[in-house]
Amino acid sequence: MRKPFDIREVLWGRLATCGGWSIRLLLACASLSAQQVVAPTPEPVGPARGENSGNYNITQSFEIGYRWSLVNGDLGEYRSDVNYRNGLRLLAGSITINSKDGHGHYFDSIALNTLGLGNDPYQSASLRIEKNRLYRYDMLWRLNDYYNPGLTVAGGLHAMDTIRRMQDHEITLLPQSHFRVRAGYSRDTQTGPALSSALEFDATGSGLPIFSNVRREWNEYRVGADADFAGFKFTILHRWDFYKEDTPYSLAGVVAASALNPPLIPGAITDATVLQGFQRSEPNHGRNPGWLGNLFSSRKRWALNARINYTSGRNDFALTEAATGTGRLGGAASRQIAVLGDAERPMLNGEFTVSLFPTARLTVVNSTAVSNLRIIGPSTYSEINTGTDLGTSVFFRYLRDRLVTNTTTANYRVTDWIAFFAGYAYTDRLVRTEEGFAIPAFASTTNDAYETSNRLQTGRAGVRIKPVKPLTVTLNGEIGRANNPLTPISDGNYHTLGGRVDYRVKKLQLSTSYGQVYNVGAPGLVTTYSSHSRSYTASASLAPNSWFALDASYVKMHLDTVTGLQFFAGPIRPQLQSDYSSFYISNIHAVNFGSRFEIAKRADVYVGYSITKDTGDGRATAAPANVTDPIQSLLSGAQTFPLTYQSPLVRVSVRISAKVRWNAAWQFYNYGETFHLFGYDQNFNAHTGYTSILWAF
Amino acid sequence: MMRVAAFLSLLCAAGVLPAQNPASPPSPAPAASRFVGSNACKTCHADVWLNFYKNPHFKSIASGQEPPERTGCEGCHGGAKAHIEARGGKATIPHAFSLMPPQQVLEDCLGCHARDLSRSNIRRSEHTQNGVACTGCHSIHHSATPKYLLAKKQSELCYTCHAAIRSQFEMPSKHRVNEGFVQCTDCHNPHGAFTATWRMAQRPRMIEQAMGGESPCLKCHVDKRGPFVFEHPSVRVEGCEICHSPHGSMNAKLLKRPVVFTLCLECHNGGGDGTRNAGVDIQSARHNLLDPKYQKCTTCHVRLHGSNSDQYFLR
Repeated sequence: MRKPFDIREVLWGRLATCGGWSIRLLLACASLSAQQVVAPTPEPVGPARGENSGNYNITQSFEIGYRWSLVNGDLGEYRSDVNYRNGLRLLAGSITINSKDGHGHYFDSIALNTLGLGNDPYQSASLRIEKNRLYRYDMLWRLNDYYNPGLTVAGGLHAMDTIRRMQDHEITLLPQSHFRVRAGYSRDTQTGPALSSALEFDATGSGLPIFSNVRREWNEYRVGADADFAGFKFTILHRWDFYKEDTPYSLAGVVAASALNPPLIPGAITDATVLQGFQRSEPNHGRNPGWLGNLFSSRKRWALNARINYTSGRNDFALTEAATGTGRLGGAASRQIAVLGDAERPMLNGEFTVSLFPTARLTVVNSTAVSNLRIIGPSTYSEINTGTDLGTSVFFRYLRDRLVTNTTTANYRVTDWIAFFAGYAYTDRLVRTEEGFAIPAFASTTNDAYETSNRLQTGRAGVRIKPVKPLTVTLNGEIGRANNPLTPISDGNYHTLGGRVDYRVKKLQLSTSYGQVYNVGAPGLVTTYSSHSRSYTASASLAPNSWFALDASYVKMHLDTVTGLQFFAGPIRPQLQSDYSSFYISNIHAVNFGSRFEIAKRADVYVGYSITKDTGDGRATAAPANVTDPIQSLLSGAQTFPLTYQSPLVRVSVRISAKVRWNAAWQFYNYGETFHLFGYDQNFNAHTGYTSILWAF
Repeated sequence: MMRVAAFLSLLCAAGVLPAQNPASPPSPAPAASRFVGSNACKTCHADVWLNFYKNPHFKSIASGQEPPERTGCEGCHGGAKAHIEARGGKATIPHAFSLMPPQQVLEDCLGCHARDLSRSNIRRSEHTQNGVACTGCHSIHHSATPKYLLAKKQSELCYTCHAAIRSQFEMPSKHRVNEGFVQCTDCHNPHGAFTATWRMAQRPRMIEQAMGGESPCLKCHVDKRGPFVFEHPSVRVEGCEICHSPHGSMNAKLLKRPVVFTLCLECHNGGGDGTRNAGVDIQSARHNLLDPKYQKCTTCHVRLHGSNSDQYFLR
């Protein structure tokens, strides 16, 4: 089988053209190894009560260690699924400082926790500083090294190797008073190289690879206040957010369409498209200022909660693109595109909830919510294609989405051991689109308008039974009827059933549950659709003493869907096909096991294993051998996707002294597709691990 | 032994500050004479008291300005006079949380904690309706986390009941919850949420929305937010779950299907008549599905989440 276009080759080539031989060398070294997911070590270190310093008590611990990994097989899939790599890390850190009388000078408590600092793919740090009655500050910083080879969605043409950094800051002044002031700041950035694709020269050509350097940045500022008066709690919050993207795109190597998609249809014309030059610049700046107001009150017999939320969104953008190469039929081709415009999206949401408590055993809650958004935007598009000026078109789209919903739920506790709940909800949704385009050179305008309304009614009921204190049984069901879902796979006529049994005593927890969702497309749709999912779970936790604990669970998740299809396909030319259906069957079995035990009060050992296995529909090959129809063969190959993903691990933590522990761990990953659906083997296995020192000082 | 157990339970749920919720079941009016102060409790419950200054509820004691029924141990458990006179015993504790039905636990805690916006929908939350009250997740005196007094690390706490969700986070493609990068509460509000503005507003529930009432996905995936001139209506109306499984998937990019064209065709299958004014478009008549290049829809339709330049999401 042909190996598809390999994005790593393009990425590496790109790095080389950027003068990145040193980077390639580093990547090559990294590809010889990989890493873990079991750290940090959860065992405590240091005195449990911390150490006193003046009027403060301090606890702190740090775990520093080295991660390693050895990957066999597809490195791209490993990086997409696991992505731990080699190196020295501050695997975890923790500091708490508490004033002992609640009257510290500048602060009463500090709590700092870090995870994976020092080049782990998943890093975070959280901080809380608090001074009683005066202020509370919370910070959360996170980093994700994101890699995805994108084989599923674009045959390997898409890939991302980016870093996402997120941070949130929130400060509350006078947190215990009747009037509180809050301010916050959040930031989210994504940067790094990526591969995408572009369809050039004509609409029936091929998508060809292009390179991009992702640069995205989002900032949000918030200011608000809470006030309590006359038994009412009022919250108001104003925020401003700004989004900016100026990702440049360029050629990712000269690639012929015929190499990506060799014609499999006899007699079909070979696509001769070749992209030899490409530049795209696409800056856009957006902002979404908004207001939030909330009023809440709770009394002896009733409570109310009202919220209103308005956000005004706007996005200004421009795009210029220039491409040169060979067209689909083999002639020289060039294309220049310029786009300019802006989009606006005002949104208004409101909700009013009333809760009534006529007796101590009965709670009735009614909620009405309204949501309305409009999207309005012109986009001015100009194109010159292979010397032909196609002129300028002004595209316009209006999208309105209005939603009204009312929900009533009642909860009645008959006795201490049995309770019922029930609910009814009604939703009406109106979606209207109006779009058109105008060509300034000609006095004509074409508009399309479309409006659809969907009403959904649902009823719910359930019972909770507690025959004896440790045992709880819950049963529930829901039925919904929609008259005109937006899409064939939306909630149409559906019902859900669920049940759960929990047995919990101090040292033992047993639990089992069942749930199912059955949804069929509403009457009136051209094609059929039904989806049936079931899940079964069983879990147990046992902790008979301080030196042994065990946790295990089994989950079975079943999904089958059938969808009527209409599409264009044919051995010579595309023809409308209406006699085919899309089936999809998934049978996932998941087992999770973990056990911790202590040896001679000095060493802690943790042994774990998890496996997630989709057995599909049990077939041996992607497309059954007896299927000769090429269209059916194509559909059959995507009906099920058997895959096994498993990971055993062992971790040992040895107490060296009262303040020091030595830790080591090994974790193995195995990813195995059965059908190699993308014509390329993504399977991998990886040994990962770490060794570390955990200490308090 | 009985006395020790009783006193342990006395402090076992303390912390949620005052217990005087007007909506709670009728109880005897607080009388100052029933309150003896937290110092009396520490005589027997020294183990709890020794670390109680690290507990957020210690503020009520440090303040020195709260009335007895909102201070320290008795702020949650009620006046301890009878308990002491009886020399312990759970039955003598006015608010022994381990003996209280979930609804009463909820009302006691809301006596102070109802002021937070994040808990304004707690009475209609799925957890409340299923009898999961505050002490089901929070351990006031033996918390495993430095913030929020959770009984366990957040993901492990949620997994205790949601085993199926746990298995989804152990699939190859998933949000990094087990790795510590994402937390359940980034997307969910366990105390109940406002009505969703996507799908038909009734499912899913317990979703913590972005500030504009949008899907929580957009809190991190800000580039998908727009506004775009050409929005993908199904994304805007039905939400990201129309194509993605948010917890985890056996397929790449959290997709619901392993191959992308099946995902697209299940909606674009003739619900409309092929023109742009009649619902979901059918696949283009120029696209021969037997041609491999038309089997990878997103190779050309790269801006599926929304575009400013092309109504077919080509750029």
